[in-house]
Amino acid sequence: MSASIDDPSVFAARAAVHGKQQLAVLLNTARVVLGAIAQRAVFVAAGLVLPALIVLLWWTAAEHRWVPEQLLPAPTLVWQTLRELWASGDLHAHLWFSASRVAWSLLIGGSVGLLLGFGMGLTHTLRAYLYPSFNVVAQFPVLGWVPLLIIFAGIDEALKISAISIAVVVPVTINTLKGIANIPRPLLEVARVYRFSLLQVLWRVVLPAAAPSLFTGLRQAVMQAWLSLVFVELLASSEGIGYLIVWGRQLSQPDLVVAGMVVVGAVGVLLDLALRWLESRLQGWRRGAF
Amino acid sequence: MAHAGTLDIKNLSKQYRVNDAALPVLDGISLSIRSGEFVSIVGTSGCGKSTLLRLLIGLEGDYKGEILLDGQHIVGTSLDRGIVFQEHRLFPWLNVEQNIAVGVLNAPGGDGTKKKAVQEHIALVGLKGFEAAYPHQLSGGMSQRVAIARALVNRPDVLLLDEPFGALDAMTRGHLQQELERIWRAEGTTAILVTHDVEEAVYLGDRVVVMQPLPGRIRRIVDVPLARPRDRSAAAFATIKDDVMSEFIATPQSALSDR
Amino acid sequence: MSTTSSTTTCRIDLRGWVLPLTLLALWWALTAAGWVNTKLIVPPGNVLHVAATTLSDAAFWQGTLFSVTRDVSGFIVGALGGVALGSLLGASRWADRLIGPSFHTMRQISLFAWLPLLSTWFGYGELAKLVFISLSTLYPVALGAFEGVRGVTRAHLEVAKVYRFTRVQLLFRLILPAAAPQIATGLTLGLVCAWVATIGAEFLLANWGNGLGNIIIKGRSTFNVELIIVGMLAIGLVGTVLNRIAARLEAHALRRQGRRA
Repeated sequence: MSASIDDPSVFAARAAVHGKQQLAVLLNTARVVLGAIAQRAVFVAAGLVLPALIVLLWWTAAEHRWVPEQLLPAPTLVWQTLRELWASGDLHAHLWFSASRVAWSLLIGGSVGLLLGFGMGLTHTLRAYLYPSFNVVAQFPVLGWVPLLIIFAGIDEALKISAISIAVVVPVTINTLKGIANIPRPLLEVARVYRFSLLQVLWRVVLPAAAPSLFTGLRQAVMQAWLSLVFVELLASSEGIGYLIVWGRQLSQPDLVVAGMVVVGAVGVLLDLALRWLESRLQGWRRGAF
Repeated sequence: MAHAGTLDIKNLSKQYRVNDAALPVLDGISLSIRSGEFVSIVGTSGCGKSTLLRLLIGLEGDYKGEILLDGQHIVGTSLDRGIVFQEHRLFPWLNVEQNIAVGVLNAPGGDGTKKKAVQEHIALVGLKGFEAAYPHQLSGGMSQRVAIARALVNRPDVLLLDEPFGALDAMTRGHLQQELERIWRAEGTTAILVTHDVEEAVYLGDRVVVMQPLPGRIRRIVDVPLARPRDRSAAAFATIKDDVMSEFIATPQSALSDR
Repeated sequence: MSTTSSTTTCRIDLRGWVLPLTLLALWWALTAAGWVNTKLIVPPGNVLHVAATTLSDAAFWQGTLFSVTRDVSGFIVGALGGVALGSLLGASRWADRLIGPSFHTMRQISLFAWLPLLSTWFGYGELAKLVFISLSTLYPVALGAFEGVRGVTRAHLEVAKVYRFTRVQLLFRLILPAAAPQIATGLTLGLVCAWVATIGAEFLLANWGNGLGNIIIKGRSTFNVELIIVGMLAIGLVGTVLNRIAARLEAHALRRQGRRA
């Protein structure tokens, strides 16, 4: 007589086999996941090798005075300077100045850029009139404007904000223009079929479709703003991160110079990461869209 | 213009490892190919025919069994074995002549001989006058012809063709099948063609090897004892073609069951 | 105004000229009527006058030559380094893992922030400027080379394998030609960055030496607005000429491969 499936011993045997299979699958998955994590860890570690070596070299060079102190500050000194700046609140003050300049410029330059970009992108007439001039001006390096601006605006906030705003306008305009120009015709035709009003077209089609380019424009604008900020503060300022660096240079305190550079770099990295995170949050749908 | 070029495949097996599980792609393939013979291999997707070709050309390794060219085990790639891929894979920054010359770049011999060989093969594939053209200026069919010339210019012992006309339209395909047949007859190279087009396989091959998938095995070998060039509308042609087709029209269950 | 439809095949769009010409006319009118402080908003006539004087001054041409020489030398050094670095990162997975993160992070440090440190190490002379210009060129070129080398398809690499390319052949006959379009783009961008860096370095590392930047500084310190404007025009012109040359070369490199910029 063959055992039937109702037989308890057969049932138990089957359950045991099934359980073993489940365990094997679980262990396999765990192995794959751990393997992936381990691999990731190795890559991250690999990326840190070079910086670690450089810092080591730097420290040794300073320790053994291979290079005079005026040229190469010890890393420990730089770290100390950074901590002092942080503790005394000086760093915050300077960063605040720099940040507010960037913020104002982004606002002003960004608005102008968006207006120009939308205007030129939506109407061919405006584009025909404005684009050639804009193109010529855009090619001219921002810092070339600075001496002229200094004549007109002195060396106060107005100068810095106007200079940085100019740096912002260019990428924002170009990317806005590109974004609008690249809206797929098929989508606009759908809007026509469903008889969208102008406002609906702008809000429901143009804006979302152009959003990625607008974001690229924002990202480039922030980077350009930061770049120009440093330049302007190096050239003519009495506060801000750039000023900090120049001050250190003039006082022959290279530790201050390097500390300032570190801060500039750190802020740059943070800005980039923040923007990328924001972009990924807002752009999730792009993956499978077009 | 006969070459050596006998190929012996003995009990060839290959498996891929995917997430710790073994995926068998080829299982126990054995095939003997005579010098100067044209063998067509047909099968549906997943029967491992492309993998087989990649093993023969030496772009993949790690297999069980033996592959012998003229009695010697093959090791990696070699100028003795040429290949035409499905995409032409020409270098876009080189013109027709320079692309074909890539085939003899590392071949022994003087510059003069090489130049002559390149010119001969340009004429052989019917592209005389297009020496200075760039790939982006050529049609798909013409680009594939350049690829064929490139594969043959260093006179390999074996020519492998991996669905060479799969990316072309039907009319170009038919025309190029004829061209390939003419070229092959002129060169006399041993040739192995992989295709999913049964008519193409019967038109070109001396033998048609039918493969079945999962894992890839040789199901059957059909002889094609017809005179060349072949007449696609002849009754004999249709009979052999139907014979091969019958291997595929069978229901899925019977196709997968062991024979 | 002209309508968009026209029967002529070669239609020059004149509308682009409307804005600049109007502004020019406005500028001239305002200064002629004396409605603005002509010390600040100088009359166009004066600018032309100063321009004529400057252009006939040999020192100006010498200065321009100096600036351009600096620019080109820095560019060449930076470009060579950039191609080498970018190709290395693109070709070798491990090089990318070891050097890549540091490279991308360093990129975030605004280039101008390097200047004070560079001036500490190299002073205010030629060397500091050259190093700065090279550094500015290095990044865009390296990125272009990186993407170009990375983009070499597996299909082509297999062809190289079938025809038994040696390592040298692989580099010069496959990788570099395949990466050429992206490298060209990187070089174009690098040229722009190099010119900006040249002028910036001349501003910030001012040592009363030669160069277009110095001319502008002179104008600023003597409150000679006309000179500043002339200098700006010169900078813009040189920049545009360099850009045009680079764009031509890039288009040529792309055309051979049948790709459009």
